[in-house]
Amino acid sequence: MSPEVALHRISPELRPMLCSVVRDGRVGLDSTNCLRVTDLKTGCTSLTPGPCCDRFKLHIPYAGETLKWDIIFNAQYPELPPDFIFGEDAEFLPEPSELPHLVQWDAGDPECLLQLVKELIQQYHHYQCQRLRESSRLLFEYDSLLEDPNYGRNMEIYAGRKNSWTGEFSARFLLKLPVDFSNIPVYLLKDTALDPGEDVALLSVSFEDAEATQVFPKLFLSPSIEHALGDSLALQIPAFPSGGCLIDYVPQVCQILNNKVQYVIQGYHKRREYIAAFLSHFGMGVVEYDAEGFTKLTLLLMWKDFCFLVHVDLPLYFPRDQPTLTFQSVYHFTNSGQLYSQVQVSYPYSPRWDGNEMAKRANYCACATDNKDVTEVVRSHSVAKTET
Amino acid sequence: MSSYNKETYVCPNVKKQSVGCLKHAPPLAYTVSLIMTDCVGKTHVFTAAMLRFSSSADSLHPLSTSSMAEPTVRMSGIVLASLMFQHVNSDSDVEGLILGESKFEEQITISDSQADNIHIEEIYNIQKHIACHRLNHFYNSVGEVNVDVVKNILADNKQERVIGWYRQRRNSGQQMTFREKLVHEKLKASLSNPHMIFVLLTPSRVTAAGATHRTEYAAFISRSRQFVNVPVTVTNLGLLEQLAYWKVSAPCSAAGYHLTMKKHSSKFFSSNGLLREVNDVNTMNDSLQTELQKACREVEESERLVETLQAEVSALRTRLSEKNQQHGAAGDSDSQHPQQQNVRLQEAVRALLAVSPLFHSQTLTLDAFPVPELCCRGEREAEVSTETPPPGRKRTRGTPAGRHRKRRKSNS
Repeated sequence: MSPEVALHRISPELRPMLCSVVRDGRVGLDSTNCLRVTDLKTGCTSLTPGPCCDRFKLHIPYAGETLKWDIIFNAQYPELPPDFIFGEDAEFLPEPSELPHLVQWDAGDPECLLQLVKELIQQYHHYQCQRLRESSRLLFEYDSLLEDPNYGRNMEIYAGRKNSWTGEFSARFLLKLPVDFSNIPVYLLKDTALDPGEDVALLSVSFEDAEATQVFPKLFLSPSIEHALGDSLALQIPAFPSGGCLIDYVPQVCQILNNKVQYVIQGYHKRREYIAAFLSHFGMGVVEYDAEGFTKLTLLLMWKDFCFLVHVDLPLYFPRDQPTLTFQSVYHFTNSGQLYSQVQVSYPYSPRWDGNEMAKRANYCACATDNKDVTEVVRSHSVAKTET
Repeated sequence: MSSYNKETYVCPNVKKQSVGCLKHAPPLAYTVSLIMTDCVGKTHVFTAAMLRFSSSADSLHPLSTSSMAEPTVRMSGIVLASLMFQHVNSDSDVEGLILGESKFEEQITISDSQADNIHIEEIYNIQKHIACHRLNHFYNSVGEVNVDVVKNILADNKQERVIGWYRQRRNSGQQMTFREKLVHEKLKASLSNPHMIFVLLTPSRVTAAGATHRTEYAAFISRSRQFVNVPVTVTNLGLLEQLAYWKVSAPCSAAGYHLTMKKHSSKFFSSNGLLREVNDVNTMNDSLQTELQKACREVEESERLVETLQAEVSALRTRLSEKNQQHGAAGDSDSQHPQQQNVRLQEAVRALLAVSPLFHSQTLTLDAFPVPELCCRGEREAEVSTETPPPGRKRTRGTPAGRHRKRRKSNS
């Protein structure tokens, strides 16, 4: 159900609060997923003219799960605070004194419901942490992470139900990794969905048994970060070591992610340096270049009265990966109607050179006699095509 | 009749069925009555100890910890229909208080094949409901109950009759909500009643057109801060079993009912509360017991008399045999003595019995009239008459074996 549909069907007196929830409702660590509203129903009779829906199901992302809570208002008494059914967690009974927005319910405050939901989630988190006491091993994991301020404050835990037959107890830890993504070039982040939200990396570690013999980690990246770094498949995290602890494993994953981010940032700067060096060497021959991401450069050069284009493509992981030079004729087309071109990758290159050195070597590659074969080939081929 | 000891029974194959009726009345004093029927059908009644516990925690309730208590909620179809009718006519959720009676029944079954089986049943009888005029009337946003408001809602009804509360909400799940759980716990504490129920009705539309609606109802009780779903039995609604009507009659608290019972009960019940026929049957049974005992005494006396006579006969025979042995060598002269004694006996019998016609054998005509005859003719004739009829005398009715009496047909 889209937010607009939900807002259209809800009772007018309750609409402001629901609007705040569906539009600005981001709770918990996974702020990329908004709160969703489904199963909108009414407590009024069918004779009541609509819109009069006053109860719905709220989907809340939490620790990799989706909590489905029923929220019940009364359209005839909109000033009354809502009531909640916490889905399958029938034993969850939060302490009312820890819910200030319920104690001092203000029906006129559009943010009141959202704030109350956040307080309930906080209580739910405490409830799940209490359930970890059923397993000393998992409780140890939780306590060790809690002591570290980098992870303790940004952690969600979901303790699975104990299997009455096997006696197994499972749990999932969802941690927000303290990685700084602010220096990632903006151009890498902009081609994403509308309003992608906060840039965040979440590490989910699932313990399938209480003795931590089956542990499955997984890294989740927000869409913009995933676009900037490549998806999580490209970013391979190590498997959870047998007998290992989260307090050792999580920093290891953080370090890998940090390294990746730094590599991407440095690659951007390197590309910018490379392009700048080419501009200074081939200033008069520059046709166009990518001034935002510095990934492409096109030059118009001449050799023995023969003009040709040189396209320089820089890969994402430059300077580790070598740029591609594409020579293209301005006179002749191929049978398919494209300008005749030839890719050149075997030229002197070293990732340890600075941008200036790379430009000099590339200049030498394009204009020096050692490489005249390339232009000669292009020239002869284009002449042959003209004669035919 | 065997004796019965409450601690250890000695009578085999006795099924003891004890029905304990605990009526909850603050300050939470209980009585248990045990009713036992032994193998000969006689009823014994025992009164058990008084049980008392604190109302602050369920765990202190003795019956809830002694054995598995099975709670059941019962209500009549009228009450359920009234609840539903109230919500149908309301444009929002509704809630209110439930009045009735709660009781505990303890059944103990003893048999040779198994050990004591204690079965405790909690029964909540819903008799009445009082609706609140608006929602969240007697509690606030965090479930704190206002007892004064509850009393106002109750009006003239007694607070002790409150056994729970109810809520009806459309299109929602059959689960207690967060606030309902809070209110339930607070209400238990406020009214000092650890045994309260919460009845939830959730109507919903089955068809899109709204032609068919469904109302699900359930009851919940709180056990150690966990809420348990309790089965609700609607009187005479459901599968009709043979004993469904006879199991337990629902108590009625209506004033008119009590007035009618008071007016007409004397026709059916005696002063001790039993049916009049029962008293009459008991009286008849007592009379029969008296007559039986009287007959037993007579039999006993006659048996004792028979025993005495048998002892005398035995003694006389013993003496006779001794005498015969002593006089055995005396010869023939002694043999006349028995004959002389026999003659004397015969003369005595004749003298005593000869004149009484009852001791004479008579000859009857075909019309059953006696034929007048001579009395005894002498010794020999008297002796012969006992064996064979004298000549000239007609034979009596009884024919000897082997001879058939000819029947003469009358010509008239």
